Amino acid sequence: MDRKQRLASKRHVAAMRLNETSRALDRAMDKAGVPAPEKESFLNWTVDTLWNTFKEERMNQRILIENEIRRLGIRFPNGTVKKDYSVSFDLPAGKISDVELTGAEEIGLIFSIDEDGHCTLSGRPNRHGDFSLKLRFNTVEGEPASEISIPLAFNPDPRDLWKNIATDRNIPYYKEDSDEGYIMVDAGESNDPRKDIVAASQRGRSHAQEGKARDDHFSIYHCDDSDWYVMAVADGAGSARYSRKGSEVACDTVVDHCKRLLVDNPDFEKAIREYESDRDNKEKRTNVTRHVIDIIYNGALKAHEAVKKVALANEGAKLKDYATTLMFAICKKYDFGWFLASFWVGDGAMCLFDENNRTAKLLGTPDEGEFSGQTRFLTMPEIFRDPEVVSKRLRMAIVPDFTALFLMTDGISDPMFETDRNLNDYSKWEEFYNRLKTGFPEDDIEGVDLSDNNEEAAGQLLRWLDFWSPGNHDDRTIAILY
Amino acid sequence: MRRLPVYLLIDTSGSMRGEPIESVKVGLETMVSSLRQDPFALESVNISIITFDREVKQILPLTPLDELQLPEISTPESGPTHTGQALKLLCERIDAEVRMSTPDQKGDWMPLLFIMTDGKPSDSMLYKEMIPEIKKRHFASIIACAAGMNAKTGPLKELTDEVYSLDTVDSTAFRKFFKWVSDSIGVGNRSIGATEELELPPPPPEVNVIV
Repeated sequence: MDRKQRLASKRHVAAMRLNETSRALDRAMDKAGVPAPEKESFLNWTVDTLWNTFKEERMNQRILIENEIRRLGIRFPNGTVKKDYSVSFDLPAGKISDVELTGAEEIGLIFSIDEDGHCTLSGRPNRHGDFSLKLRFNTVEGEPASEISIPLAFNPDPRDLWKNIATDRNIPYYKEDSDEGYIMVDAGESNDPRKDIVAASQRGRSHAQEGKARDDHFSIYHCDDSDWYVMAVADGAGSARYSRKGSEVACDTVVDHCKRLLVDNPDFEKAIREYESDRDNKEKRTNVTRHVIDIIYNGALKAHEAVKKVALANEGAKLKDYATTLMFAICKKYDFGWFLASFWVGDGAMCLFDENNRTAKLLGTPDEGEFSGQTRFLTMPEIFRDPEVVSKRLRMAIVPDFTALFLMTDGISDPMFETDRNLNDYSKWEEFYNRLKTGFPEDDIEGVDLSDNNEEAAGQLLRWLDFWSPGNHDDRTIAILY
Repeated sequence: MRRLPVYLLIDTSGSMRGEPIESVKVGLETMVSSLRQDPFALESVNISIITFDREVKQILPLTPLDELQLPEISTPESGPTHTGQALKLLCERIDAEVRMSTPDQKGDWMPLLFIMTDGKPSDSMLYKEMIPEIKKRHFASIIACAAGMNAKTGPLKELTDEVYSLDTVDSTAFRKFFKWVSDSIGVGNRSIGATEELELPPPPPEVNVIV
């Protein structure tokens, strides 16, 4: 047989079979009692009905699978712009095909699925906002593709959101948004290097964001005649209206007071020497304490009074509008070592750090409540009514030497130490000291070169104060005697 | 890290069904996206949502803003408003979720509470009992909102001095209200640690101050 003949014979067989089938169908209709004239319309109805049932079944099957996918409850965790993002989930591979996730590429993510239905969505989001990705897939042949929306949110990088709005120069008690200071003390005749003071104060991002003034303050001084060092740091309370003035008055008042009492005070010097040579002598201790109270305690009290005076002079303002913390210290080097006395009310940290002996001595206890941000202020009259004020807040010490004396506001101590326990932990202070020197290379923030007579240190310290720590954006002020 | 815990108590009783609750959802979405634009909030705000009708549920445990995804909110057909029960659950959650300062950990900022209702407590006995308990929890601020004409401000006044009302319970009113809530959270964020009382931003015209 040639090709044509073969084809013809095949057609014949097919026609024969069709005839057989239609005859069988015909017999079945006869048996069921379908009258001959209605046979065709009955057949049409049958096919139509079955086709609809078939389609319905197919659609139901698609919906069933869609629901199954929905029930997986695929949700994408939020991401952050420019930070690596990755999420994975599983789909029933046997039931769906041609899976894609539309909208992913536009936001910088890549979607992939393997043959077992394991999916990953990863990449680096290129923008922030709320997005809706569409998971598209095919279920049953002949059915349209299914689509499920999955929301996805990318947060902005908080660092991109901070604004730096300069403080309005016309506000009462205007203060520069940052400050720095360096006191270089020359070696003099002996050629031994003598300690210097470096200090810096930076307005916090939370204030910069709103164009609000810096509330912190510092004041540093070295008396060339008597060789006394004086340093003060104060943190004006966040929303107390004029706390920037409170902190300034407090710092300036104590430094001024100490200056006057230290410039030429042979009685005090004598008392220190006598006490040093006979430290178990109670009388000699009392004698030196009396001087310290005169200088330190009275200095603090004077600062309180001075702030009060400013508040009273401003009609409509209250003392608490000037609320501020205060810490200050006086130090002098003798042939036997260093004499040091200090006062501290409020939070922050004041610490005598000695790298050689591996000690970090807190000069007091930070005033903190159960919740963050609760503290005590110099402006609270009860501070001075407390009968234990002297023992609680005054410190006096004689040490052979030390690496650095730190005074800092909680804008620095909170992010750097976090807890009271850490503040009392030498290793944390060592870490802190190293951080000062190394900076934060990951954030392009340089370290501070704390070598003798390095006036550059003030600018370096100010820039160092811009370090990043989530949630910590308070004013930052630090004074270091080193 | 220190968190600013924000608790939202939302009335989901039957009368809130339909447009009011849909408007609340829109309002919440607006609030979240507006807070996300505030760098300080983004790093410190944590939000929890408790809904109350016959049942009281914490539908969102205290969650950092950057991880937050708003959950579904449903309302029953009808039934009582268990506001007292909601305050009770709130106290339990605060005790479990809010961190206090200890030598080993930095405490959270004092929490904020926003409560919104369109009626009055059905469990008024328990509600009264819970008020001193709430006071003990040291909220930085409690802001109460009476939504719609049927909301009773009296019981809310016992809870806080900061009571506000909305004349209507439509989407405009709720959007404005929650925008103001997010502004207040922003203020809470910035003034923390400074004063005992929070100075709230002025409410929009849709939000009435109840004196």
